[in-house]
Amino acid sequence: MDARPLRVVCYVNQYFGTLGGEDRAGLGPQAMEGAVGSARAVQQALGEAGTVVATLACGDNYAAEQPERAVAELVRLVAAAGPDLVIAGPAFLAGRYGVACGALCAAVQAELKIPAVTGMHAENPGVELYRRQVHIVSTGGEAARMGDEARRLVALGLTLARGETPGAPAVEGYFPRGVTRNVVTAASAAERATAMLLDKLAGRPFASEVPRPAFPAVPAPRLVKTLEGATIALVTDGGLVPRGNPDGVEPLNATRYGAYSIEGKTGLDAAQYDNPHRGYDTSWVKQDPHRLVPVDVARELEQQGAIGKLHETVYSTVGVATTLAHSARMGREIADKLREAGVDAVILTST
Amino acid sequence: MPRYTTAAMRLELRWSDVEEVAAAAATWLVGARLEVDLDALRALLAADARLGAVRLDLVHPGERVRIGRVFDVIAPRARLDGEDFPGVLGAVARAGDGRTLALAGVAVVATDQQTDNVGTLAVIDMAGPTAALSAFGSTHNLVISAWPAPGAGRSDYLAAVRLAALKAAVHLARAAGEREPDRVEVFALPPSPRVPAECAHLPRVAYVFQIHSHQRPTGLDEGILYGDPVRRMLPTIVHPNEVLDGAVLRGFMGRSVTTWAIQNHPVIRALYARHGRALWFAGVVVTVAQATEPERVRSAFLAAGLVAHALGADGAVLTKIGGGAPHVDMAQAAAQCEALGVKTTVVVEDMSTDGSAEGMLLFDLPGVDAMVNVGSSQEPLTLPPMDRVVGADDLVPRLQGQTRATYGTLCGAIEQVGATRVMAEVR
Repeated sequence: MDARPLRVVCYVNQYFGTLGGEDRAGLGPQAMEGAVGSARAVQQALGEAGTVVATLACGDNYAAEQPERAVAELVRLVAAAGPDLVIAGPAFLAGRYGVACGALCAAVQAELKIPAVTGMHAENPGVELYRRQVHIVSTGGEAARMGDEARRLVALGLTLARGETPGAPAVEGYFPRGVTRNVVTAASAAERATAMLLDKLAGRPFASEVPRPAFPAVPAPRLVKTLEGATIALVTDGGLVPRGNPDGVEPLNATRYGAYSIEGKTGLDAAQYDNPHRGYDTSWVKQDPHRLVPVDVARELEQQGAIGKLHETVYSTVGVATTLAHSARMGREIADKLREAGVDAVILTST
Repeated sequence: MPRYTTAAMRLELRWSDVEEVAAAAATWLVGARLEVDLDALRALLAADARLGAVRLDLVHPGERVRIGRVFDVIAPRARLDGEDFPGVLGAVARAGDGRTLALAGVAVVATDQQTDNVGTLAVIDMAGPTAALSAFGSTHNLVISAWPAPGAGRSDYLAAVRLAALKAAVHLARAAGEREPDRVEVFALPPSPRVPAECAHLPRVAYVFQIHSHQRPTGLDEGILYGDPVRRMLPTIVHPNEVLDGAVLRGFMGRSVTTWAIQNHPVIRALYARHGRALWFAGVVVTVAQATEPERVRSAFLAAGLVAHALGADGAVLTKIGGGAPHVDMAQAAAQCEALGVKTTVVVEDMSTDGSAEGMLLFDLPGVDAMVNVGSSQEPLTLPPMDRVVGADDLVPRLQGQTRATYGTLCGAIEQVGATRVMAEVR
C-alpha cells in the first residue's frame, strides 16, 4: 500500500460551496483551502483514505455562460493543487451545476491525466453530455442523502485513483458509459443463451447482454421532380476504387471514401478498377464493376432521356466493420457534396 | 414400438482422461499417460503428396510456450462403429450413432505454414493469464507443422493440413483401444415428434447452427458437412449427435471458431443437459450465411420454417460463424422465427470496432431482443513473453516477447458457437 494519503480536490457550485444563492451565480472560479460546504461530506466519506486539500467553487452562471473559459480556469486551479483524484458535485438535478461537473471531470482526465468522478440525477443534462467520458454516479434529485451519496462517489473515486477498473455500472452505481469491455463470466455463452431462452419462453424478465441500437429512422425524401428532369448520382459502400486505390480506402473499418470521375465514360473497364473490400466475395465485381456501380445502364437511361443527367462523380467507400461515427460522418459529407452539385437522387448500392 | 427403436440415435462418448503426454516408441494409453510414437505418426501424416516436411511438437499446460500460426484445433476422437470424420477422412456415412473413443485433456493443433497473411491466424498460450482464457491453454497439445509440397495451391494445402490433423486426432484416440473408459457420456434423443406424455408440457427448443459463411467461397476440398463444401446448401435438419460425432467441421475461414468447439458443441451440450427436465430438445437446423439478399431472405424463412413447422419448436437458440454478414444473416433467421411465434436468443459477437456500445450490433429486428455475446475480438490484449515459440519458426522475433494482440488473436478465447466465457460488458 502507498503510505501517502490521497490528495483530493473537490468541485462545488456557489450554493454547495456556501458562498451564496442565485445572487452569487456569476462568481468566477476560486480555490478554498480544505473541505468546504458539501466537500465536507466527501472528507467524511474519505476518512483516513485521503484528504480534501482544496475545494474549488464556481458560480452556476459563470460556468454556463462561458464554459470554455470557466473550465480552463478550473483546470489550472486543479493543476496547482496537484491532487490524485477530483470529485465534482454531486450535482443532483441542478442542470448548470451538473454540466459544469461533467465538463470539469472530462477536462481534468484528458488534460491532467488525473482520475475524476462526479454524481448527479439521471435527468440532469450533464449525464447525457458526459457519461461516455466520465464516471457519473447516479444520485437522487435532491441533497437529502448527501452522506450516503458522497460515500458512493468516494468509493468509485478511490477505485479509479488506484488505477483499477470499476465493476459493472449496475454494481457500482454509475451511469453506463456506453463502452464495452471484455470480462470473464462463470457460465459459457451457450449456457447463458439457453437460460435466457427459457426465461423468455416462460415470460420471466431477462437481461439481454447487448443493448439494442437506437438507429434513427431516416425517411426517404420525396423526389420533387420527374426522373426525366433529375440528376442521378451513383454511390456505393461496396468498395469499388480505381486500380491502385489512390485514396487508400481501408479494406475494413473504413474512415475514407473516394470521389471518382466517370466523365466521358459509357462504362467501367474492369482493368482500371479494383476492390479492397474484405466483407464479401469481390471476385464478381472485379470481373465486371457494373455489378456494383451500374454506369453502363445509367448512361443508356441518360441517352434515352429516361433520367435527366447522370452525375459525373461516383462516391465509393468500404462498408464493413465501419464505426457508426465514421459512417455518419462520411454519409453527411457525401450528401453535402451531392447537394452542392445539384444532385436530385442517388442510387446507393450496398453489399 | 419397433419403429421408435430403429430410428433413435444413441451416441456414446467413451472418455479417457489424459494427464500426461510423452513421446515414446509406441502409441498407447497407460493409465492417464498417453505415449505417442511421433516418428510413426509423422510418417503417416507425411504420406500426403500435397505436403512436404512435417514436424510434430508436444506442448504442455504450464510450459512457457506460445503456439503460433494456429489454423484449427481438433479433439481426438475415434469411432468404433463407423467412419471417422465421414466425408472428409472416412467414407460418407452417418455419424452420431454408436460408440466413439474420446480423449479428455488432449488436443491436436493444426498450423498454417503457407500464408503470409499471418494476421488471419491465431496463437495459443500455454502459461500465464492468457492461457486461462482459452480451453487450449490447459490441454496437452500435439502441434502439427506441415509445409506445402512444391506447387501445392492454397486450397489443396489447407485441405491436406486439416486432413493431417484429423488423422492425428483419430490416431491418438485409438490409443485408448479396448480399455475401460473413465467416463461414458450418452447422447440419446428420440425422433423429434415422439415426446413422452410426462414431458409434453416442456417447451420444445431447437438450435439453429450456422456452419459456414459464404463471405468467402469454399474450396472444392473444403468439406464442412459430411465432406460437402456447402456451396449451394439450403437449411436442413440434422440430429445433434451428428454434429458431436464429426459430421460438421469448421471451414478454412478465419478465427473465433474451432472444430474442437463443434465436436464439443456447447449449445448442443447445454440443450441436452436440460433435455427432459426444463425443455425438450427438438433438433438442430444447420444453415450457411449467404452472400446476397435474396439468398439471405430465402435461407432465413426456410430455416424458420424448419424450426417452426417441421420441428414444432417453441424456442430456438441461434449462433453465427464469421463476421458482419453472418451476424445479420443469423438475426434475419431469428426474426423469421419470431414472426412465426418461435421465441429466440441469439449469440452475437460484439461487432464494435471502436469499443462503443452503439456499434455492438449490426441489426435491430423485431423480436430479436434476447442477446448473449461472446465478447469483442477487437479488444486489445497483451500477450506475456514466453520462453519458446512452437509452430511458427519464422515469427519467433515477433511472437516470443510481450506482444500486443487482440482477444480474437487468442485461439479459443472467443468461440462464436458459445464455448467461450469471455463476454463484452457495457460499462
